[in-house]
Amino acid sequence: MDFSLTEEQVMLKDSVAKFLADNYAAEQREAVLKQEAGFSAKHWASFSELGWLTIPFSEDVGGFGGNVADVSAVMEEFGKVLVVEPYWSSIVLAGQLIARCTNEALKSSAMPQLISGEAQYSFAWLEAQSCFSLSYVGATATKQGDSYCLNGQKNLVLNANANYFLIAARSSGDVASESGISLFVVDANNPALKKESVRLIDGQLACNIEFSDLLINQDDMLTAEGEAYPLIAEVVDEALVALCAEAVGAMTYLYKATAEYANTRKQFGVAIGSFQALQHRMVDMFMATEQCKSLLVRAQCAILDGSVDRAQDVAVLKAMVGKYGRKVAEEAVQIHGGMGVTNEMPIGHYLKRLMMIDMYFGGSDIHRRRFSDMRYL
Amino acid sequence: MHAKFSPEELAFQEDVRRFMRENFTPELAARIHHPDTFRDASIEWQKLLDDKGWAANGWPVEHGGCAWSATQKYIYTTELAAAGAPDVVPMGIKMVAPVLYSYGSEEQKQRFLPPTKSSDIWWCQGYSEPGAGSDLAALQTRALRDGDDYIIDGTKIWTTYAQYADWIFCLVRTDNTGKPQQGISFLLIDMKTPGITVSPIISVDDEHHLNEVNFENVRVPVANRIGEENEGWTYAKALLTYERTALSGVAYCKRILTNIRKLASTAGLSGVRLIDDSDFRARLADIEMEVMALEYLELRVLSDIDSGGAPGMESSLLKLKGTELQQAVQTLQWDVAAGFGGVLPEVDDELWESDGNRARREYMFGRACTIFGGSNEVQRNIIAKFALGL
Repeated sequence: MDFSLTEEQVMLKDSVAKFLADNYAAEQREAVLKQEAGFSAKHWASFSELGWLTIPFSEDVGGFGGNVADVSAVMEEFGKVLVVEPYWSSIVLAGQLIARCTNEALKSSAMPQLISGEAQYSFAWLEAQSCFSLSYVGATATKQGDSYCLNGQKNLVLNANANYFLIAARSSGDVASESGISLFVVDANNPALKKESVRLIDGQLACNIEFSDLLINQDDMLTAEGEAYPLIAEVVDEALVALCAEAVGAMTYLYKATAEYANTRKQFGVAIGSFQALQHRMVDMFMATEQCKSLLVRAQCAILDGSVDRAQDVAVLKAMVGKYGRKVAEEAVQIHGGMGVTNEMPIGHYLKRLMMIDMYFGGSDIHRRRFSDMRYL
Repeated sequence: MHAKFSPEELAFQEDVRRFMRENFTPELAARIHHPDTFRDASIEWQKLLDDKGWAANGWPVEHGGCAWSATQKYIYTTELAAAGAPDVVPMGIKMVAPVLYSYGSEEQKQRFLPPTKSSDIWWCQGYSEPGAGSDLAALQTRALRDGDDYIIDGTKIWTTYAQYADWIFCLVRTDNTGKPQQGISFLLIDMKTPGITVSPIISVDDEHHLNEVNFENVRVPVANRIGEENEGWTYAKALLTYERTALSGVAYCKRILTNIRKLASTAGLSGVRLIDDSDFRARLADIEMEVMALEYLELRVLSDIDSGGAPGMESSLLKLKGTELQQAVQTLQWDVAAGFGGVLPEVDDELWESDGNRARREYMFGRACTIFGGSNEVQRNIIAKFALGL
């Protein structure tokens, strides 16, 4: 048992924190969000120069050879300042789907571009009827010679400006079956793909896509036909841990910023932080953050140890981060009073981000049910 | 970052399991659970642990401790609870001993540590008073210096197991002039000294754990004072930190939750399984998820202590969340019992005390856990100050 960060992880965390301290003040972030893409191409290039885009990938595909703990160390720092660049969607999520797929030719052509940051990828999986079930795939892939013909729609695909979408489509099986799902790399400019951009509440630009009779060569399929689900489940679990690390970073910012504000804001002639009613609420914010941080450690260990409980531990982490992330942010708004409900204060932006994090891949209730269904037979 | 056990740790786990299997017998368990035999059976159990070298595992090695790593402590606590075995009664080995070996004189250490370790002295704690509960520093029990003695007058209350105790460790007032925290001294008092009266207080679980202890002209040698006169608050604060670290109760919660899952998976009076009820599942999951988090919070704190940190504000965190969860588990256990007409049926666990009253008694006694060791409101004050700078 060892929960400490390695020397390398500490250095990585420090260098990320330093870059963000110089480039990610609240006004700087707001200016970035106002850009059409919803993120800064300049920052993205810096991430690439600093080597952050290589972190999760094994050395044989040109990566740094990091693991979920390394990625989480970075994501936690990102969460403290609400980084908006598509690191999670393109590198942690879509990047790992490619890096761990079985199509070696595709992997060796796609990875260099992905790791250098030249091309961004996004995983298109959620459908209108799926209720956040990973295996619910109504989009179809019908074999036609050397190609597949894709039909269907996907919602809330992150990073509307991604160069490629990884589309989950079904070639066999029941609509919710784990077998029969394939993953295809589709150029975002494919004429058979219609894209509608949507601005999410946290300012990010996502999109809904529709594709009809989109022909895609079988060489652009990530695994053998119908066998993508285990890859998806494994990568999503790990990516959710990294996402929760971001949330823990945001929660850490919130309880600290709130205590600091309470110590300076005066009412009735005294700092409001001297009121016990507020102190105890802030202690509960701190406690909630520590509980989530503990589950983050637990889930990281489960993944790194190859534990049989790994899916349970991730579901519990996601459920608790979803619930407490929002709770901590709501409390932060309340204690900031009138200022807390203004867009001028960063607090509300953290609330929006934590609401989105809760929603990604299903909210708190959904992951609690996932946990219950695995545990209570 | 990993949570795996090394081969040595796995061997240690097996050793603990074997010891529990061979020594914590259903017969011994039954006697510990019965009030009439509780005292003698507890001492018997603690002597078995002491023979194995584990009773005072947290002490420094030179006094008979084990120098266990955080992982070993975790394994030991987990296996102890999994076997249904109680930890040592804390007042001696876990509460007064750290003060003794940290602040006591050589003579005091030699006199008190060995019989404390072997459970030949049963200790009780004389802190709270009728007028000093959460505001402990308001205590008024007076110690007047008279030659080589102090004369003690006053009342201590909520004194757990005073009826069994050979000795009591007390905070007494030796000076009234400064701030309340100043002028407090730490005394060890033989319960057989003339002038001490113990009166029972029956708690809401209908049991007799608690007492009021009266001191009337009780003569105590100055040699029984730990450390300096008027410096007792400093020593007591250190002790409270140790006390709270021991209060998370994660292993206890896990054991009860295991049996709740078993019970909920059998049909109750109405013929349905609770575990199939979506409201119940959500409620059980909410508690289990919190316990899973607290388990790792405790492990994180233990790891920090391993790397040289001292338990401080974190012990308040563990006490606070741990006792809230103990109550949540006890409430759930009672509600499960309600589904069986208020009486828990036997489960497949021969060390599980199935006298039918368990759920009621634990729920009732559990009301105290958010009050003792410094009420949870006081813990929140401590965390606000030391973690948040408020």
